[in-house]
Amino acid sequence: MAVVAKVWIDEDCITCDACQDICPEVFEVTDDSSFILAAVRTDGVFDRNVGGAPLVGNLGTELGDIIIEAAEACPVEVIKYELVGDGAAEDVVEAAPAAVEAAAPAAAVAPAAGVSDALNAVFAGDRSINILFGSQTGNAAGLAEKTAKLAANYGLEPNIVDMDGFDPAKLASMKRVMIITSTWGEGEMPDNADAMWNAINANGPALGGVHYSVCAIGDTSYDEYCKAGHDWNNKLAALGGSEAFPIQECDVDFEPPWKIWVEQALPLLACVDESGTLQVELLEEMKAYGAGDDDDVVEGDFAPGIIEQDTLTITLEVFRYAPEAAESGWDTLTCAVPGHATVQDLLMTMQREVDGSLAFRRGAVAGTPTTGVRVNGRIVLADCTQVGDLAVDGGRVRIEPLPGHPVVRDLIVDTSRYESHRSRAEPWMRTDPREGERLPSGMAMGTMESATATALHQAGDVLSFQLIQAMSDTLPHDPHYEGPGVHFQQWLRVLDPRTSEKQRRSIMTSLQEKDGVWSEADHASLMRYGEDGRLAARSLNEARGALLNQSRYAGKSGRLVKWYGRSVKWSGNVNETTLYRQVLGPLGLVSNVFSGVSARMALAFTRNGGPPIRGLQALLVPPAGLGRIPKMFNGRVENYHEVVSLFNEIDQRF
Amino acid sequence: MAKIAYYPGNVARAGASEIEDTIQPLCKALNIQLVEIPRASSDGGNVIKQATPKLQDALVARNLALAEAKGLDIMTTCATSHAIMCNTSQDMARDPVYASTVNNLVARTSKVEYTGETQSWHLLHYLVEEIGLDKIRDAVKNPLKMNIAAYYGPDMQREGACAGDDPFMPTYMEQLIEALGGTPVDYDSKCNSVGSTSMLTLEDSSLAMTAAVLSDAIQSGAELVVSACTMSHINLDSYQSKAGRVSGKNTTVPVCHLSEMVAFALGFYPDRLAQLRTRVRLIGS
Repeated sequence: MAVVAKVWIDEDCITCDACQDICPEVFEVTDDSSFILAAVRTDGVFDRNVGGAPLVGNLGTELGDIIIEAAEACPVEVIKYELVGDGAAEDVVEAAPAAVEAAAPAAAVAPAAGVSDALNAVFAGDRSINILFGSQTGNAAGLAEKTAKLAANYGLEPNIVDMDGFDPAKLASMKRVMIITSTWGEGEMPDNADAMWNAINANGPALGGVHYSVCAIGDTSYDEYCKAGHDWNNKLAALGGSEAFPIQECDVDFEPPWKIWVEQALPLLACVDESGTLQVELLEEMKAYGAGDDDDVVEGDFAPGIIEQDTLTITLEVFRYAPEAAESGWDTLTCAVPGHATVQDLLMTMQREVDGSLAFRRGAVAGTPTTGVRVNGRIVLADCTQVGDLAVDGGRVRIEPLPGHPVVRDLIVDTSRYESHRSRAEPWMRTDPREGERLPSGMAMGTMESATATALHQAGDVLSFQLIQAMSDTLPHDPHYEGPGVHFQQWLRVLDPRTSEKQRRSIMTSLQEKDGVWSEADHASLMRYGEDGRLAARSLNEARGALLNQSRYAGKSGRLVKWYGRSVKWSGNVNETTLYRQVLGPLGLVSNVFSGVSARMALAFTRNGGPPIRGLQALLVPPAGLGRIPKMFNGRVENYHEVVSLFNEIDQRF
Repeated sequence: MAKIAYYPGNVARAGASEIEDTIQPLCKALNIQLVEIPRASSDGGNVIKQATPKLQDALVARNLALAEAKGLDIMTTCATSHAIMCNTSQDMARDPVYASTVNNLVARTSKVEYTGETQSWHLLHYLVEEIGLDKIRDAVKNPLKMNIAAYYGPDMQREGACAGDDPFMPTYMEQLIEALGGTPVDYDSKCNSVGSTSMLTLEDSSLAMTAAVLSDAIQSGAELVVSACTMSHINLDSYQSKAGRVSGKNTTVPVCHLSEMVAFALGFYPDRLAQLRTRVRLIGS
């Protein structure tokens, strides 16, 4: 049995996933490269492990053979490892990277052409930068990822570090540290930072050689604005760290201030040399180096490259509503915009240059679910939908609030009804105890067949459930209807094998209730909004099928399905008379007589012409609820036994 | 002469016989030969689908296969039926395994098979794209001379079911109205649902949805609403006064079906057109 001491990934990984498939306990393939999981390394960092951190515990023994199998399966042979022999001597199987062999990590960046010797000297040696994030909702984690991508522009080797489980004592050996953290509740640390914060307060290391900068995310509507970030900033200073760039506070719209921070803090930290000295005199040259050739820079490669489109001349119409005056109308202007501009770009430009009072929700990252609007009849997210996909040159771009919600101002809608329905529906996970596995770290983890996981993911793979909610034409007319966005989430929970039986029963009961899944008058209104709407309509139809089975076709909706099916099976045609009689019952039909529906038909007051006898039948032979009376008995289609056979083959319940 | 199989949908030969009255002379006037498919059955109306999607797909695939056996595409006057045929056709194209299952059932019971060759057309798309507005314009005998709001409904207004028209801002019916000598009226809710499939089970919502569409059309200046959907036509027309009473909105406006409108303009049923004109004049807008 081979015993692996350490494993790392060389450059040029093609992210083929082979290693992760073979040994997911050790390898995880990201967008750029395979990484060695933090949980299996003594340094607790998630990266390629070019520093050669050993494997924890006796993991090298337990997984040695599988790691070697993964290395041998690697098509580009970038997985390297060291074996431990029976004795203490290490058997280096393949040439370890310089970074592993040397006591001090070797240069991560080749000397750059066209830069000064002084800057090249800075590029020599350890170029690691550790980006720690404290995140409750994922915003800080997202910014950490973006920061890491930009760090490479300055010749840095970024490590993204989740504060959860991170030993603060390791900070002492780091030269460059960036902290990005949100503030939770009333000035509290996010959950994943809590333990580390307690640990550093209990026993904080001396941080004499550490240069750092903090980006704090908060919300000015709270008293303790950005408190967690300030706490970290003060703590690192108190432990002797050097603040390379002052703390940056970020409000709800955190991306712009983060950008300012990262453009200043990163080059400064990049000027920290091998000895831990900040070479501030190299800052301008470092910035120029990081900026590189302007043509190549698209704000880091985390953003998809923009495919430029031709400029379009459009007539822009934006819905406006002023609640103070209870007035609504349209602002119209003609403008020229690049086709690749997003709807949000249009609105921001209009707000900046035409009318600062225009109100709309802005996205933090592309695809923010709260940026939904209706544009030219389509329901879209404003921050990821390009104008060129909505209009042609000389065309019109008409922007309205998301339908199905009350308008607060201009394009901002009140989604509280959706939220309260969702809150009552409780479509979140509640599980029963189930079989699982243990990670090498000892942590228990549930498992799922990959086919099930894939199917589950595909069933709910939509941009935003809020958009699904807005697709319903029924919702604005039924204040109690919970809506397709809510029911879709509930049904996905029913499909999830992890869901407890109790929750599954509770959801099915809720879906069958008066304001449940039968309250949607027409799934076609969802289906017309592209793939997301189709997916939702299909799921909700499945939910109805399951409820029909469970309730044995109870209620009006059940009777409609049952008798529609029977009517078709009997003759090949639908017999409307049968449907009205069975679904509405005699009293329901009488209501049509008294409400004038039948009378209007009988008098030919609405439907055009035709032999009068057809109309007269409506009076003489109820049930004639709709229009002229349909045929009381339909003739059978030719070879109608073929239809009967289909029913018998597929569903004998009718 | 253009030749196409004709599928009347679920109600054209029952509760909505005015469509059956008008489609035949309309097609003759435009040199379209409608080929009957006597073995075609109901398509399940998206109702059977709620219990058994496969059964509805099999019924639809059988109808499509019967047209395919004649080497023809299929045309209908009902937006719902057209959308149902498009859905089945697309679902089968997307999933060959599912298509094979459905086809085996159809072949076993009916000795026909749907390969995907036959496609569904709605009358509107067929008229605009295959016959051409110029030919229709030339055939007009009684120009409509009314302000007409086109109602498309949601069923056929989606990618893959609306031919070359814009799914979200359609104009085909407006172009047709112009060709027939009418004046199209633009209004926002022309693709909204009126809940016709749920009129028997969700009357309150359906009436409210119907009233919203009608009052929007009226406020935009419509003297007549023309529906591309047979089922929705029933809501818009027969239930309009009830919808108005329940919602408190003005919903009083004459409504006719697309096939009626075209047939009237081409000179058929002048008595019915006269009746319609009288109602337009009396009701106004």
